[in-house]
Amino acid sequence: MKKRVRIKSDEATTGLGRFRGLEISIGELVDDDWDEPMGPTPMPGPTTLRSWDHKLLSRYQPSYMPYCQVCCLCTFGKCDLTGNKKGACGINMQAQQSRIVLAAANIGTSAHLAHARHLVDHLIDEYGPRAPLIQGPGTEIHAPITRLITGMRPRTLEDASAVLDYAESQLAHLLSATATGQEGHWMDFESKVFHAGMTDHLALEIGDLAQISTLDFPQADPEAPLVEAGFGNLDPEKATVLCIGHNIVPAAAVTDYITEKKLGNEIEVGGICCTAWDITRRDPNAKVVGPISWQLRFIRSGKADVIIVDEQCVRTNVVEEAQKVKAAVISTSDKAVMGLPDRSDDPVDEIIDDLVSGKIPGVYMSDHKKVGEIAAKVAIALKPKRKKKGILPSKAKIKKMAADCKKCMECVRACPNDQPVQEAVLAAQQGNFAPLEEIYHNCIGCARCESACPNDYLLHSWMVKAAEPSCDKEKFMVRTGRGAIQDTEIRRVGQPIVFGEIPGVIAHVGCANYPGGGEDVHHMMEEFASRRYIIVASGCAAMSAGQVLDEAGKSIYERRDGEFDAGMVVNVGSCVSNSHIAGAAIKIAAIFAKRNLRGNYEEIADYIYNRVGAVGISWGAMSQKAASIAAGFWRLGVPVIVGPHGSKYRRMLMGRADKEKDWLVWDARTGDRVSVAPGPEHLFYAAETVEECNVLTAKLCLRPNDTSKGRSIKLSHYIDVHEKYYGYFPDDVWTYIRRDSDIPITLKDKILGQMKENDWEERRIPDPTLLKRMIMSGGAD
Amino acid sequence: MMRAIPWQTGEICGPDSAKAITKAAQIERDIKKAKKPVLVIGSEALTQKHRKGTMVDYAIEFSKAAKIPIIATGNAIKAFLEKGFDEVSRMGAMELAFYLQDPEWTGPKGNGPFDLILVYGIPYYMQWTLLSAVMNFGDHMTAITLGRHYQPHAKWSFPNMKENRWHDELDEILKMVGGGK
Repeated sequence: MKKRVRIKSDEATTGLGRFRGLEISIGELVDDDWDEPMGPTPMPGPTTLRSWDHKLLSRYQPSYMPYCQVCCLCTFGKCDLTGNKKGACGINMQAQQSRIVLAAANIGTSAHLAHARHLVDHLIDEYGPRAPLIQGPGTEIHAPITRLITGMRPRTLEDASAVLDYAESQLAHLLSATATGQEGHWMDFESKVFHAGMTDHLALEIGDLAQISTLDFPQADPEAPLVEAGFGNLDPEKATVLCIGHNIVPAAAVTDYITEKKLGNEIEVGGICCTAWDITRRDPNAKVVGPISWQLRFIRSGKADVIIVDEQCVRTNVVEEAQKVKAAVISTSDKAVMGLPDRSDDPVDEIIDDLVSGKIPGVYMSDHKKVGEIAAKVAIALKPKRKKKGILPSKAKIKKMAADCKKCMECVRACPNDQPVQEAVLAAQQGNFAPLEEIYHNCIGCARCESACPNDYLLHSWMVKAAEPSCDKEKFMVRTGRGAIQDTEIRRVGQPIVFGEIPGVIAHVGCANYPGGGEDVHHMMEEFASRRYIIVASGCAAMSAGQVLDEAGKSIYERRDGEFDAGMVVNVGSCVSNSHIAGAAIKIAAIFAKRNLRGNYEEIADYIYNRVGAVGISWGAMSQKAASIAAGFWRLGVPVIVGPHGSKYRRMLMGRADKEKDWLVWDARTGDRVSVAPGPEHLFYAAETVEECNVLTAKLCLRPNDTSKGRSIKLSHYIDVHEKYYGYFPDDVWTYIRRDSDIPITLKDKILGQMKENDWEERRIPDPTLLKRMIMSGGAD
Repeated sequence: MMRAIPWQTGEICGPDSAKAITKAAQIERDIKKAKKPVLVIGSEALTQKHRKGTMVDYAIEFSKAAKIPIIATGNAIKAFLEKGFDEVSRMGAMELAFYLQDPEWTGPKGNGPFDLILVYGIPYYMQWTLLSAVMNFGDHMTAITLGRHYQPHAKWSFPNMKENRWHDELDEILKMVGGGK
């Protein structure tokens, strides 16, 4: 394998001396000792996999739901695109919508890619370019996504850097496609969305692999430690540093400093969003505070003395909020400086003095090595000064203020979830705080109600105050991110997954923009874990799943082990760890079916699509990053369900179950065109309710390759959840019966009746593929 | 005419927006001229009150009076079936948003293609996206929303209304189609 290599380092010590601003480019390196043959599409460009994308997109057509009917991206406009009108550049409504979807996918990919680039460059500085990439024991097929896409086996940090070079070049092309006067057809915009998603997965894998290899994270460890989570687990007697975001580097500087100086009795570190997972992967003594939606409530509680923000999903007015509680802010990413002065080159003691005295609200520190010392010392010095000062008003004060409510309903109109905020305020007037507490449990923490309130009430704080007693009791255990799935685990479950005997792999990922609180994620997980599906989790969803405790006070992570097996709950880690979920699907093709991965994207995606009953769920999907992660799964043929707010991604990818011609596959054994049942029926879908999501989840696990036993098991679950949540026997079961042996025994009479009513005929179970070239006797696409 | 504004204040849509229903009679023509109308009822209808019942009861009465089929979205169908009403089909709101764009789609029970949808009970922001699909890509049909809050992507929508007034207008519409007796 040939590859270009570029190594950059701000400072490096080598045998030749000490260099600053070092940059080395090597024309090409050759990986000669890998005997796996190169597949047809190493390092694909934006159009290399276009025909695969079009196959998927002709089966799963975009259903656009425009946010607005104009385009305002250039000075030709605004252009009115209503009623088949075209913009001044010639674009129509469909193309404009797909262009916006591509823009969102590009934004998401750029966030992950820039994160990975920072990690790799930083770790090369720290550990050198030859530091090995290690995914963990039992992971001979390490970096499956990278192998699949690039044809490379990245073995060192410098290899990782080369992979990112490729990803960065792809992103530049994709971004340019959104410029006025470039791409013009929805189908090609959508193909590029898939390309952005694939590139995103590459960045995720490299980012996590780099940090797992160097920062003492659990390495493919099903027994990754259980760590403490929730508001109530933070010790009020200690100084507290809160880390928000996704990038471990500054947070690691803090935990390392605390360990080195033996300050564990005086100070503790908590995380919100994915940094919470990554600091606990490195240091299990750190705490998971909670998901992204808990930022504001935690800051306002006053528990944090110092707030470190790194990158992604950070509340952009964090400095303003921190000022209210006199906490110091340290911003650490060049992508999220937050208006703070750059004090990276100043002496540490001067910075500490300025922060402790309150002379400045915060600092931007690009030198992460100093962050640990500054954060720890400032937190310890501020703690007695601040006395954990929060800005939660007393209930008496709330009651008094609530009396002046103008009853304008602006708070309700501003609430994304239409929560009855005004009603709760009016109840508080009477001293009844229960309605405010109830809203707290459903609140996504956006505080739009406050911005809208003409009386400037801090309504979010009122909710937090009302719920304070339950907040303080909020303690639960979560299993921190294990990283990759071992090859041995895949070997054990590959066959039952492909044959359908393990009915599915369900991944709960993403953000916390829930329509009705985070507990829903737990309920969905438990529904399917108890049915012996494999449950995988990451990010904020993985935190929310831990919130619900059983009668014995145990969370789902304490009740269920972390192996990749039926009925288990597997937390892979942070956003970048989503790569291990895609990686597991890819490895099933390699290990169970012995397919070559190297540069062989289309064949492997076709395998996954037709055989691996995997479904991604992002119940609280909010960000562009969630969109790009989803797009990576779409290209691999894995369907994704989002919550009702996900409809605001403004485009679904939908199949037409009523059009038999849409569901033809090639039978690889015979070369015949064979009609199969619509499975998976949709590729991207926003469910209105948890109940709908559950039924669809069971249905989307159906695959053309299911054996009769597998199909029968999957149908049993589909029918059961359908009856449970919709109250009737599903009327499309007969379409999924290919032969009598597919029929679940206990439901035989009912299903036979349905088959008779619909003139059912026996169908063949093909060796399904969308790729003509996979026909054994030969064929060309 | 009063200017209707979206319930969620950021949900503005562009050059076209729904006409506000200030009197039930305004939508009589559209309802009566429709050859194949359909009621689309979302999951929030289960908890939305109307008189002594819920908006599920209202839908059942409306459907019976006007002889209009119902498509329930989310998990709303269970409530209809529990009330012994089975002239109802189920589809996801997003499935419906997709299928309705096809002028030849004949509906889940073959009683389409629909030329009018009357919709309520889907969460506001999600109903908004469904209506946007219909407004922009389903110009063979008319969309009327009967929810309490203004939905700019319909052809007709109530403006944001006080609850009592809304119930009164709903009753008027029910009478218009021969119900409410």
